[in-house]
Amino acid sequence: MAVTIPYFAALTTYFSYGLLFVFGHLRDFFRGFMKSESAPEGYAPLCRDFEDFYTRRLYHRIQDCFNRPIASAPNAWIDVIERYSNDNNKTLHRTGNSRHCLNLGSYNYLGFAAQDEYCTPRVVKSLDKFAISTCASRADGGTTSLHEELETLMADFIGKPAALVYGMGFATNSTTLPALMGKGGLIISDSLNHSSIVAGARGSGAKVSVFQHNIPEHLEEVLRQAIADGQPRTHRPWKKIMVIVEGIYSMEGELCRLREIVAVTKKYKAYLYLDEAHSIGAIGKSGKGVCELQGVDPADVDIMMGTFTKSFGSCGGYIAGSKELIQYLKHVSPGHLYATAMSPPAVQQVISALRLIRGEDGTDRGARKLAQVRENSNFFREELRKMGCEVLGDADSPVMPVMLYNPAKIPAFSRECFKRNVAVVTVAFPATPLLLSRARICISAAHTREDLQRGLEVISEVSDMVKLKYMPLEEEVEALLKEKRL
Amino acid sequence: MAEGVIQRAGSSRRELDGGVPVVGNLYVKVVPPPDLNKNTEWFLYPGVWTTYLLIIVIGWLLILSVFRCSAGTAWTVVNLTHFAVTYRFFHWKKGSPFAEDQGMYNKLTWWEQVDHGRQLTRNRKFLTVVPVVLYLIASHTTDYRSPVLLLNTIAVFVLLIAKFPHMHKVRIFGINSDYPT
Repeated sequence: MAVTIPYFAALTTYFSYGLLFVFGHLRDFFRGFMKSESAPEGYAPLCRDFEDFYTRRLYHRIQDCFNRPIASAPNAWIDVIERYSNDNNKTLHRTGNSRHCLNLGSYNYLGFAAQDEYCTPRVVKSLDKFAISTCASRADGGTTSLHEELETLMADFIGKPAALVYGMGFATNSTTLPALMGKGGLIISDSLNHSSIVAGARGSGAKVSVFQHNIPEHLEEVLRQAIADGQPRTHRPWKKIMVIVEGIYSMEGELCRLREIVAVTKKYKAYLYLDEAHSIGAIGKSGKGVCELQGVDPADVDIMMGTFTKSFGSCGGYIAGSKELIQYLKHVSPGHLYATAMSPPAVQQVISALRLIRGEDGTDRGARKLAQVRENSNFFREELRKMGCEVLGDADSPVMPVMLYNPAKIPAFSRECFKRNVAVVTVAFPATPLLLSRARICISAAHTREDLQRGLEVISEVSDMVKLKYMPLEEEVEALLKEKRL
Repeated sequence: MAEGVIQRAGSSRRELDGGVPVVGNLYVKVVPPPDLNKNTEWFLYPGVWTTYLLIIVIGWLLILSVFRCSAGTAWTVVNLTHFAVTYRFFHWKKGSPFAEDQGMYNKLTWWEQVDHGRQLTRNRKFLTVVPVVLYLIASHTTDYRSPVLLLNTIAVFVLLIAKFPHMHKVRIFGINSDYPT
């Protein structure tokens, strides 16, 4: 999906970044005279100052908008700790107060992030039985009956023969990809994939190619070219080719075009790795993810990956695939052999959340939560569009980025919303392209209609102040047309 | 390559009849380009060329208004400043300002990183033409007077030679060939 940006906003954004870079470089230039030599005599400097230029000169200016500490569970409302700075945001100190804010930033799609009447008692009971940590890796005595139960449940939920559970979502990608791919292999990943996939791909030693975001025609072109060329220099055929896509792209709120991509990978006999970090549990009629939503048979996707952080209110990740794949990974993946096992109460939280979603607790709360998050997302997105803000994302997706573009609007939007007790997450370069900085809003099933209305009021007020309404309303366009004709 | 397409109004509004351009409603469609190098991918978005040219023209106006000199002197100052700035940032500074790249581009200047090292792309052709056009304007408006002409000529020669496809990854006499500190 292409983003439509007003040309004037593009020009002013480049100009603002240019100005910021010029001032940054000037400051660095003068700093060269003032600072003392940091490395001891004869040693090379530990870091290059150009490498953290972006962090020092751009990120530190607006540091108070990121990494805000919280003082409560990230439910629909959250307590955010206030901070102040005496040296222009280089260091931040807590004031000791906290603000009770509407939480539009947490990945709490089904509302499991706070106390739940079904999940929490069971988690506390498992804490009594299993304690906080297994104090071992999975291979060395860290596998409890809870882990096995979760793996069976997860595999059954997704529709794959077997699953493997890891303690950390990022580590799932960054340790599994090096175990599966090696030198002589080719990884073709979507250009907007998450940094965990990029880290895993780089660490694997395989050649990495990129195809244009969510465009299966370009994927086919890249695949054809790669298969025809073979490995670089020797031109031998590739050992294996893997295509990596995500279910929902968290920065765009956009769904993957899975059907077409599966068709392409089947045609050219490439493996498909689907990262469902944001879509599992939140999308699809019964929460089974993007495969269910788009009617794709899970057997067509070779490796399905996901995390428990978003919809299940826990931590960790999983890989699901054939029995042989999981057996192989158990022997080879460093995340399984050497990393600490997932904490047992966290496992119990996922098990309980999963049972709730499937309706196995005897109520229909799961189905209601799924319907609620869908309804809330569609309502919020429609209202934002009607307001005139530029919102990305497909229908049914609970993630909706609101485009900001100019670098100055990032702290303006964030701080003004915070003053009005709404906590939003803003994202800028380098997590997003330079031009396309955005405020990413995540809707939860725990938000009530009143919460959403309050959020919309605040966003409307702040957008007027910060001039974020890039897409004028139908009525305004008609009025303008009438003026032109008269 | 600029992937932008200039459109009139977004897709959510109905068709404007007679193609009436509503003022201030110029929109551009942006498709993310498949370039993983964050240091250079910003150059592939629409609006970059226009901003570059606008900065040059606005710089000229600023110099004229601050120093109250002749138009030719102002163009010479713009040409030489443009030479200094673009030489330093395109052809001297190596690497990328992001630690997560882990020094992957530490031996490549920005010019060598753009477009993934492919030569003679549209972006490179545009960036090669700009110093030449600036040189022509600067030398014309100063009436080809001798001291200023020499400076302008040196500037354009150095910039042009640095942008030749054959100079890709070439370091003359080993200048600037080390890893940056």
